[in-house]
Amino acid sequence: MTTQTLTDAALKAEVTAWLADHWKPKAGDQGAGFGLHPHRDFMAKVVEARWAVPTWPKDWYGREMSPAQAKIIEKAFAAVGAPGAGQDRSNLWANTAMAHATPAFKRTIVPALLKGEIGMCLLYSEPGAGSDLAAIRTRADRKGDQYVVNGQKVWTSGAAVADYGMLVARTDWDVPKHKGISFFFLPMKQPGIEVRPLRQITNEAHFNEVFITDAIVPADNMLGPLNNGWGVLQTALAYERSVMGDAARGPRSGQDNPKGDSALVELAREAGRLNDPVIRQEVAQVTAYKVLNRLNNVRAKAELAQGNSSPIMSLGKLAMSRILHEEARLRSKLLGAGSLLEGPDYPRAEDANFLSLNAYFTSIGGGTDQIQRNIIGERVLGLPKEPEVDRDMAFRDVRSG
Amino acid sequence: MSAITAEDLSVFVEQLKRLLADRSSEAEVRRLSETPEGYDPAVWKALADLGVTGLIIDEDHGGFGGDAVALELIMEEVGAALLCSPLLSSAILAPALLQALDDDAAKARLLPDLASGATIATVAITGPSAGWIEGHVAVDATAIGADWSLTGKAAFVTHAHIADVLLVVANAPDGVAVFEVDPKAAGVSLTSLPTFDHTLRMSDIDFAKVSARRLACNGSAWQAVEAMLDLALIALAGEQAGGSRRVLEMTVDYAKNRYQFGRAIGSFQAVKHMAADLLMDSESCTSAARHAAQCLANGSDEAPSAISLAAFACADAFSAITATSIQMHGGIAFTWAHPAHLYLRRARADAHLFGSSDFYRERYVQQLGG
Repeated sequence: MTTQTLTDAALKAEVTAWLADHWKPKAGDQGAGFGLHPHRDFMAKVVEARWAVPTWPKDWYGREMSPAQAKIIEKAFAAVGAPGAGQDRSNLWANTAMAHATPAFKRTIVPALLKGEIGMCLLYSEPGAGSDLAAIRTRADRKGDQYVVNGQKVWTSGAAVADYGMLVARTDWDVPKHKGISFFFLPMKQPGIEVRPLRQITNEAHFNEVFITDAIVPADNMLGPLNNGWGVLQTALAYERSVMGDAARGPRSGQDNPKGDSALVELAREAGRLNDPVIRQEVAQVTAYKVLNRLNNVRAKAELAQGNSSPIMSLGKLAMSRILHEEARLRSKLLGAGSLLEGPDYPRAEDANFLSLNAYFTSIGGGTDQIQRNIIGERVLGLPKEPEVDRDMAFRDVRSG
Repeated sequence: MSAITAEDLSVFVEQLKRLLADRSSEAEVRRLSETPEGYDPAVWKALADLGVTGLIIDEDHGGFGGDAVALELIMEEVGAALLCSPLLSSAILAPALLQALDDDAAKARLLPDLASGATIATVAITGPSAGWIEGHVAVDATAIGADWSLTGKAAFVTHAHIADVLLVVANAPDGVAVFEVDPKAAGVSLTSLPTFDHTLRMSDIDFAKVSARRLACNGSAWQAVEAMLDLALIALAGEQAGGSRRVLEMTVDYAKNRYQFGRAIGSFQAVKHMAADLLMDSESCTSAARHAAQCLANGSDEAPSAISLAAFACADAFSAITATSIQMHGGIAFTWAHPAHLYLRRARADAHLFGSSDFYRERYVQQLGG
């Protein structure tokens, strides 16, 4: 016990001292995200000093540490706002490559990913494969020691600056849909890739469509065995969910917004609606949705800490979806005719209208509320699945559209 | 702070679960619902022996000194089993009110027998307008020398028909006060009410110059009543959480085992999505009930708003779950023989016993600063 405490203290001292020597934050720096990392030079040092993935093996930039000790390192980095730690938990790309890439490809790609030297994007969804992701029709056909890729992907963030895309493509059309998919690291900077920004209902463009025409990917860039891409995808999606847990955005007008549990009360007061008994009921109810979700999460964490699984974990996204839609609806209602407007001169209306539309990011993205209810019904409550008419059919015979 | 350790509490809850499984089966609930008394004195004795009747009574008066957390947890079991008993009146309302007042003699006189279950007591709070604020009290108290006389009406008094002692909230010339009344005293007339929840017993009480003993209170007696209601709301929230989980479990089991169109009805998304929404309600209900109990037990500043939140969120959740459960079961749950309606009736009673969800939503907004 005492030895462990000393080791932890020594580790904390070591990492803190290292950060004091190496981390020189610059004004206007951005955090991690898609594309090239703004702190590439520093990130390289983090990897070489073995702070990036401390739970990994020693010959893979790690220290073979326990998750508890890794947490000490992460906390020290977070305390000074330095990037690069905790990538063994959060780096979707590096974790996926580490788990499934061929030895040769892994040697080149993993360090580059950890150091933030290459930009990445996701090539999963297609116009005809959203909730039913296994229905993808982008094809990868073997030609010598490479594959030729043709198809269309959508909802791709960072596609314009990415060096590689994590691609799922169909490699066998004569087996059922889950069994003919392979997983690739597709080089993005080649003539066969065309990226078009996708304008969203919020009048922003955070995503792209990617048109792929005779693009080339080396066979060595395949992750996992041929036709086993669905399995690789499952581990990648698990990481992605942990990374994208809190992706919902707040108001965008820039005007100050009241915070905390009384935020809606304050907005109602500002709008002159706080005397309306119907509005008061709705303010209470929507605030309750938010508070109840927080209480549920606290209880779930306590149950998990005691080693018990909690059904609440899978409810969070559905709860958040309701909160976002209901809060936006109420904000619009408070404004009355004021919600007819938008733009910088009408920041409350701008926010209410933006939030009304952006709520769909959460209720559709990453699995619609309806898919989420299926998951809760099946995995948490143990209800049987619907019969799947295409489950055992060769994919080329599956009806689509 | 609770005088009961967490370990003792979990043993206690396990013992209660077993007792309820043995003695509060659906058949027993149905049988007792049809009796005039509405409870089984032998089960009441067993609950007393286990310590349920003395749970929140302090140790000096023969109880266990359990706090709101302990109370909420045992009420989850009570709600799941639809227990027919005067627990709410005699083990929660009456001792909570006595302990919030400052009448040591009354505590010494009444609490030990409440703890042992030998005495059954209840509290008459509101008048026929049935509001849970001071202005709805409709019994007036007049001093006659050192004694007091009560005249007026109390409404929706739980378990008064079997009570040995009535604690009556009444308007004295100097403000609201609490009076101890013998229900057999001259001038007391009880009218039993036909309740929608057949496991519940309620009466209206008419007081005509009834001799009463005023209980001492150093501060505002209405604040003592509010302290009692806070604990009662947490107890109800616990009952609603336990009831919600039991009904969800029963409904999901049915959806797995009922086959139509050649497959379990729970495989249809129309049914599955209802179940997913009920899980959200049920888990939120449990979180709200337990959080309110913890806040009150810890003396947190957040306790008043946490109790309001639990009051409306748990009432609405239990109501929604029991109602949707009937729809999900289909025809079988439209029959008297199926237990779904027993829970629906309990849910609707709980949702109105001490004020509506709308009332507590309004109170919540006020507590948020609105």
